[in-house]
Parts: sequence; structure tokens; C-alpha cells
Amino acid sequence: MTVTNAETWLYKINPSLKLFVLMVLCIVALFIDDLNYMINVTMGVLLIFLCFTGHSIKRIILLSIPFSFIFISTSLAMIFFGKGETLWFEWGLISITEESFMRGLLVGFRALLFAALGLTFSLTTRPVNLFYSLMQQVKLKPKYAYSFMAALRLIPIMMQEFQTIRNAMKVRGFERGTGVKSIYFKIKAYSIPLLSGSIRRAHRIAVAMEAKRFTDTRDRTYYYDFGFSKYDQGFILYFIILLLAGFFLSIQFPLVSI
Amino acid sequence: MEQIISVEKLRMKFPGEESMIFKDLSISFGKGEKVLLLGPSGCGKSTLLQVLSGLIPNSIEVPLKGEKLKCPSSWGYVFQDPDSQFCMPFADEEIAFVLENLSVPKQEMKEKIQHHLHQVGLNLGAIHTSIDTLSGGMKQRLAIASVLALEPEVLFLDEPTAMLDPEGTKEMWELLKEVGRDKTVIVVEHKIDHVLEFIDRIVLFNDEGQIIADGPKDTILSRYKNEMKEHGIWFPGVWDEYVKNHAPVRKQPFTDDVPLIQVQDFSGFRNKEEKIKVNELQVTSGEWIVIRGENGAGKSTLLHALMQFIKTSGTYALMGTPIKRVENPTEHMTFVFQNPEFQFVANTVYEEIAYSLRIDKRPQQEINERVRSLLKVFRLEAHWGKHPFQLSMGQKRRLSVAASIVKDKKLILLDEPTFGQDSKNTFALLKWLEVYRSRGVTVIMVTHDDHISKNFATRILTVQDGNVIRDEKVIQPGCMEPKFLNIKGVSCR
Amino acid sequence: MKKGLKLSDVLVTIVIAVAFGIIYILWGSIYYFAKPLGLHVDQLIYGMWFIAGPVAFLILRKPGVALLAEIAAASGEFFLGSPWGLTVLLYGVVQGLFAELVFMVFRYKKFNMSVAVLAAIASCLGSVLMDFAYGEIGALSTWNLSLFMIARFIGSVFFAGLTAYYLVKVLETTGVTNLVRPVSSKDYAELDQK
Ligand SMILES: Nc1ncnc2c1ncn2[C@@H]1O[C@H](COP(=O)(O)OP(=O)(O)OP(=O)(O)O)[C@@H](O)[C@H]1O
Ligand SMILES: Nc1ncnc2c1ncn2[C@@H]1O[C@H](COP(=O)(O)OP(=O)(O)OP(=O)(O)O)[C@@H](O)[C@H]1O
Ligand SMILES: [Mg+2]
Ligand SMILES: [Mg+2]
Repeated sequence: MTVTNAETWLYKINPSLKLFVLMVLCIVALFIDDLNYMINVTMGVLLIFLCFTGHSIKRIILLSIPFSFIFISTSLAMIFFGKGETLWFEWGLISITEESFMRGLLVGFRALLFAALGLTFSLTTRPVNLFYSLMQQVKLKPKYAYSFMAALRLIPIMMQEFQTIRNAMKVRGFERGTGVKSIYFKIKAYSIPLLSGSIRRAHRIAVAMEAKRFTDTRDRTYYYDFGFSKYDQGFILYFIILLLAGFFLSIQFPLVSI
Repeated sequence: MEQIISVEKLRMKFPGEESMIFKDLSISFGKGEKVLLLGPSGCGKSTLLQVLSGLIPNSIEVPLKGEKLKCPSSWGYVFQDPDSQFCMPFADEEIAFVLENLSVPKQEMKEKIQHHLHQVGLNLGAIHTSIDTLSGGMKQRLAIASVLALEPEVLFLDEPTAMLDPEGTKEMWELLKEVGRDKTVIVVEHKIDHVLEFIDRIVLFNDEGQIIADGPKDTILSRYKNEMKEHGIWFPGVWDEYVKNHAPVRKQPFTDDVPLIQVQDFSGFRNKEEKIKVNELQVTSGEWIVIRGENGAGKSTLLHALMQFIKTSGTYALMGTPIKRVENPTEHMTFVFQNPEFQFVANTVYEEIAYSLRIDKRPQQEINERVRSLLKVFRLEAHWGKHPFQLSMGQKRRLSVAASIVKDKKLILLDEPTFGQDSKNTFALLKWLEVYRSRGVTVIMVTHDDHISKNFATRILTVQDGNVIRDEKVIQPGCMEPKFLNIKGVSCR
Repeated sequence: MKKGLKLSDVLVTIVIAVAFGIIYILWGSIYYFAKPLGLHVDQLIYGMWFIAGPVAFLILRKPGVALLAEIAAASGEFFLGSPWGLTVLLYGVVQGLFAELVFMVFRYKKFNMSVAVLAAIASCLGSVLMDFAYGEIGALSTWNLSLFMIARFIGSVFFAGLTAYYLVKVLETTGVTNLVRPVSSKDYAELDQK
């Protein structure tokens, strides 16, 4: 993503560490069964997402639209169709019980949490930085790291190529026709050249990389160096406090009574 | 002289192909030699270069055997296609990648990157520039810069200047002369004007990939002129000879009542930035317009704007109708992309050419006839069953032209259609275009080749920094019958 | 099978995967169009998210490729800003692992339709397990859960099994697969003629 935006403190956190912390948080969230606790933690994460990614409010709101969808749809499925004892409402196949309602909200908030964590990460981390950091801190093999970076470089090229195939089709006289058969034909006409072209290009890039003396050893120098700083401590601290305070608050001041 | 590269009795064959590309080829190179490999398009020069460097079979698995294969240990390779040799998103990171591979300390990197970029004359505003926004020629410079960063003993150069403007080509060879002084350099190049000062030995190949001559530059150039001519290899003075032996081309555009193209205050945008601006331009049928200008000036962008591939503003009328209201602009014009690979949509060479005709549901027999005649004109008969990506660079280029012009259109736009072409194929293409032009088709062509502007163009547009700064008519227009666009059944011989 | 995957294998796998990562993202919106239809119609198209593994394996035919492809596709999806965020990474790992296991059971020697379908079913199983852990489905009423599972399995067989298989079949006709698969000894033998 090449959108100009202010670089906040979130950008200065070591990318591997950031990924690791957020992963741990995701796994922790899998084990949170208490709705109040879940809401508190989610709020803490949303705070970071909304205020500190350095992107404009407009963009943030735009990006949040699919979130809300996920929140609603995930919750609703469970609310309408979940198991439960205390019946609140019944209509045809739909039965809303207290348990299913609470569970639905819980699942919804969890989805929201995951989404916010993920976006916070991808909005504040350049992939190239992440892979450099993974090579340095996690000892990821350069073979994988550089392949990923090369592949990510190919994304805009693929998009461009998609555009170009469209243009090429236009030149060759191919834009007309609707209906299932023509859609099938179009999908085939786009996907096969795109995929086979990408594979050939990938292969050629691999050859070019080897021609530039790339070897899969770890004793190489790095253009970007990543270490740890006080921002990293602050980042970890924030989440520890969030987990503890969230827990405390959920017991002392529950928002929803269960 | 110490031999640092040599192959003996090399045999090689691409999987699934019928015949071998090399059969018992032997060649060797001494330390410090500067050698030019010359041969018709598709004879196997690029492939041989890959074998000599060891890329085949170490990185690309192709069946091959030989009695002796000796590859150098320190080498750099500039590939023919500038687009797919980068693995990082930004220019500085790409060179840094090379430096990392060599374990250059981080502190020294910035300076070295700047040095190498400067060395190849790539003056970017900031070194941290996205590679995707560079023009074709700029990318080729970057490719050379990253190879120089390897500080190699042997340089393999596969048409390193194919996409550069004349000024850039000259500079590049001067640069290579400078940096290559103490290196062994093996070059493949079709445009030989500037290379000749640089090299001291020439190897000539024929269509079958056999060596027909190998020796000092001057001997080869003076003794093998006929062989070179016969095989369609560029040699100094080809153009003069061509012009002498062919009646001067008639340069007579038509006069139309309504201009074919009419634009005013016309701009083309890339990422919302104005990249080309044309104040006024009128194009009539039967013109042959050459667009020239430096790398990155906006030539391709101008063609894209005319094709409506990108966002444009201002007035633009095609045959009197505003372009927005022309239902199917591509019914009237066709386009050959700068990078041929970008336009391939079919799985075989044959189907690639037949593609437009099939969409039109033309009868099979007609398709067959047309495709065959084009395969012949563009010398692709032997390769009709291959996948377009398996062709050599020049063959790809020819295929992209053939596929775009298979249907008769009033307007043909071509983006550097002759780069990487041997002389035989270049003249075949130009002659073919001239036949069409003389029947009223308009040709708009981006090219760096001044010979084409001089001998074929009726009009020359010069683009600089996104503006059309000059518009010269080469001859007075208006001496032929107006608008005869009926070009059915043009024979191409 | 010396020393694992070569650079070109890795790069090709990842590029295939990233291409599918883009499709995965777009698929998300289709998924949300299907969701309001209710009755788990959406689950019928869920199987698309398992396709990268089988496709990559069928193209390259090497060990480890299926797992790498699913992980890479998920990472690609993640980087492009998937609304599911980090979940896609966790799911990707599990789904890839399950598909990989199937190919391993056949000792990486079978490339037919059945093995593709089996891998698809395995990935599906993996995703269902994850769904239980994630808490989305364990508490659904029984009839609803069965409907859910059946829809998802059918979708997986169709998308990740059959579609993957036929996609690679078509790709083979473009000759691109020869580039990444080992050269046959027959081609070497042909060099000795004449
Ligand atoms: N992977 C491949 N499979 C089959 N044939 C191939 C493959 N690559 C190249 N060829 C064929 O081998 C021949 C030599 O190709 P090569 O690229 O070496 O030509 P070249 O001399 O460099 O031509 P040009 O000047 O046009 O670049 C061509 O006829 C081409 O079609
Ligand atoms: N896809 C793109 N996105 C953004 N900028 C681009 C894109 N393609 C080209 N440009 C920019 O537009 C300008 C004109 O590029 P263009 O490709 O038209 O140059 P050109 O005259 O065709 O050069 P060349 O001779 O190298 O092909 C350049 O500054 C280039 O950096
Ligand atoms: Mg070549
Ligand atoms: Mg251009």
C-alpha cells in the first residue's frame, strides 16, 4: 500500500515483534469466553486502530465498512440459529435464546478484534520491512523472504497486466457478450494468461536473482537493519495492561449482565 | 591468452522440440576479450549466452551435454527483458539486494547505490523510487546499474540498449567501454552502430545456430559482408544499401474531408498526474507518423491516450465523432504494445494471430489463409505451435505485430515495433506497413531509429517531458486520391 | 528431492499463491453477498479458500509446496487488508497442513483428480476444526450445523478439488508447467542421436 500518511509510533515497532504480539493476542482471544472481557479488549484494540495508524479518518472509516459487515453477519448467524435454553423469540427456523444472543455477540466481537488487529498491522507495516525483520529476528531463510518480497512486487505488475490484458482484448475485439457462457469464457480468457504469465515471470525473476549471486545463506548483510527500542516495550506493555485492566473492569463494571 | 569460458561439442535441445538448437557447437573466449555475437533473430544467441554463464543448466533446467563446459566464476548478466529481472519494489532496494548478496557492509551501501545509479546516468529525484513508475529505458539502465554493482569479471549483455534512445545508447556504450575495460565482455546486439568501437572480435551465426565466421572485427566486417546480408544481420551501411536498391518510397499522404484524428488541448493521465499534453494535432489517412523523444518523455503514454487506455481530457475526435461516442474505437484502430508479452492471450503462436478472426467468427479457411500468410511474412512458420512466451525476443515482437494487424484497420499504432529485430525482419515489416499506408492506412509509430524517420515517415512528432514540442511534415501533403480505405485483400509480398 | 525446494520453486509457488490471495480477497465480497441468503448458501463457496494448495502442488509436484502455497496465499490476503485480519493466517496454516498431509500420504507421487479432491476435503476438515476452536459453529443447533458442514464439503470438493484439477489441466496446455517440473530422461536421451 503506497498511501502517503503520517508515520506514527506504530511504524517504529519492530515488525516481527508486532506480528508476534498480535498473533499471541489472537490466540488469547480464542480462549476468552466472557463477553464483557471480550468487549473491553476489543475496545482497547479499536482505540489503537482508530487513532494511531496515521491514516486519514476517511480511509479508516472506509476500511471499517467490511468489518461492520463481518461483525453483524457473524453475530446474526449465531443469534438466529444458535442453541440455548432461555427462549426469547421464535419464528420459523429462527430461534433466539439468551445464550445464543450472548454467544453471537461474543463471536462478533472476536471477529471485530481479529479484523482490527490485522488491519492495524498491515496499515502500519511495509512488507519489505517485515521480511527483513523476519530474516534478522526470526531467522527466516532468505530464500523465502526474498521470494515473498519479489512476489509482492509482482502484485502491482499483475494488476497492470490485468489492465493490459483488458486493453489487449479491446484491441483484438473482445468486450461484447453477456450471459453465463460468455462469463465463463471471460474468466478463462483472463485467468489463464494471467496465471501462466505470472508463473513464467516468477521463474525468470528467480533466474535473475540467482544471476545476481543470490544464495540461500544467512551470512549476508542487510540494507535495512531492525532492532528493538523503547517503542517495543511500550507496545507490549500496552497489551499487558489492556488484558489485565480489561479483566478487572469486566468483573467490577460489567457492561452486560450474564 | 588464458581461456576463461569455453564449450566444446555443445548439444542442446528444448524439451518437446523436434530439433536441437545447438549441435556440436564449440567456442571459447579468452580473458579480457570483447566479443560480439551476431546472428539473425531466433538463432539462439540469448540461449547461448545463458549456457556460457551457466544459467543453463544451473538455474534453468534444459537438456544439454558437451565435452567441456567451462563457465566463469564472477560474472554479471543483463537480460533482454528489462521488466522481469527485478525482485524488489524500489530502485535503491534492487541494487541493495545485489550488495547484500556480496555481503557489503550496510554503511557503504547508500553511497555505492548512488554511485552505480549515477554511473548509468539514471538520475532519479530520490534513490528510493518505485521501479514501476520508470519508463522502459529507465528500467534498462537500472538493470545495468545492478549488474555493475556485482563488480563482475565477465559481463554478459543481451541487447542492453534495445530500449534506449540514441543518446542513451551512445552513452551506455561509452559507459560500458569505461567500466568494461579490464573485463571480459560478451555482447549480443542487433543495433551495432556504437558497439563496434567497443568490441574486438565478432562471431557470426546462421539461422541454424551454427557459427559461420569467427575472428577479428575488421576481418569479419570486410570479408563476410555477403553472408551478413544473406542472413539479415545488420552491418554498417545496410540502410544506405537498402535505400539505394529500393526505389525511394513515395511519401504522399491523402487529403481527407474529415481528419481521421483530431485532438485539441488533449492530456493523458497516469495516476492522476498529467504525463502527456498535446495542444493540437490532426491526422489524416495515409500518413506515417513517427513519434520520437527521450526515454520517459511520454511516447508510450501518448499512444495509450490515443487508444483510450488511460484517462484523458480535452477534445478527441475519431473521424469526426467524439471518441466517447464512438461505439467501438478498436474497430478502427489497432495497437502494438511496447512490451510484446503484455498482449499475448492465446496458447500458441498460430492461435495468437487467429484470435481476432475467431472472435469475428470468420470462416476457418479464411482464418487459415490469413494466419499462414502472416506467419510467412513475419517468418514464424517454424514456430507456429509454440507458446508465445517460448519465442525469442525478436520473434515475440514480430508475433505481437502480426497479431495486432491481422484485421484491416484504418489506423495502426505501434510502440517500438522494430526493437531487437534483425535487418531482414525490420525491412519486411517496414515494407509491409508501407504497402498498407499507400492504400490509405495511417501508421503512427514510436521508434528510436532515425533511419525510419528519414526514409519512411511523412511526419515526425517530437515529444519531450510530456509535451509534443515539434511537429514536422516531411513532405507536402495532398497529392493522391482522397480516402481509399478499401484495403481488403492486400497481398503482403 | 535434494535439499528441499529451489529458489525458483519457492518463488513460483509464492507467486501462484499471491495471485490466489488476490482472488481470496475478492471472494470475500462474494461471500458476503451470499451470506444474507441464509441457510449457509455462503458455505457452498467457502471451498475457494482452499484452492491455492492443490493448484500449486499439481503444478510443481514437489513436497512442501501445498503448505507453502496456502500460507503464502493467506499472507498475501492478509497484507492486502483482509477484513478477517490475522485469522486468515491461522486458518491458512491449518488448511495448508491438512492438504499437504494428503499429498504426503500418497508420497507425492499421485497427481490425479482423486488426490486433489481428497486434499480439498482435508483442508475443509481443517477449517471446520478451526471453526470449532474459533467458536463460530460449535453452538449451532444440530440441523443447522449439518447443513453447514454439508454445504462446505460440497463446495470444497467443487472448488478446491475439481476446479483446481481442471485449472492445472488447462495450464498444462500452455506449456508453462514444463518450466517448473523436472526434465524427463527421454529428453536427455534424444541428445545422443545422429
Ligand atoms: N523455452 C523454450 N522452448 C522452446 N523453444 C525455445 C525456448 N526458448 C527459446 N526457444 C527457441 O529457441 C530459438 C532461439 O532463441 P533465442 O532466444 O536464443 O534467440 P535469439 O538469437 O536471442 O533471438 P533474438 O535476436 O530474437 O533475441 C528460438 O527459435 C526460440 O523460439
Ligand atoms: N504505469 C505508470 N504509472 C506511473 N507512471 C508511469 C507509468 N508508466 C510510465 N510512467 C511515467 O510516465 C512518463 C512517461 O512514460 P512513457 O512510458 O510514456 O515513456 P516513453 O517515452 O515511452 O519512454 P521509453 O522510450 O523508455 O519507452 C515517465 O516519467 C514514466 O516514469
Ligand atoms: Mg535474444
Ligand atoms: Mg515507451
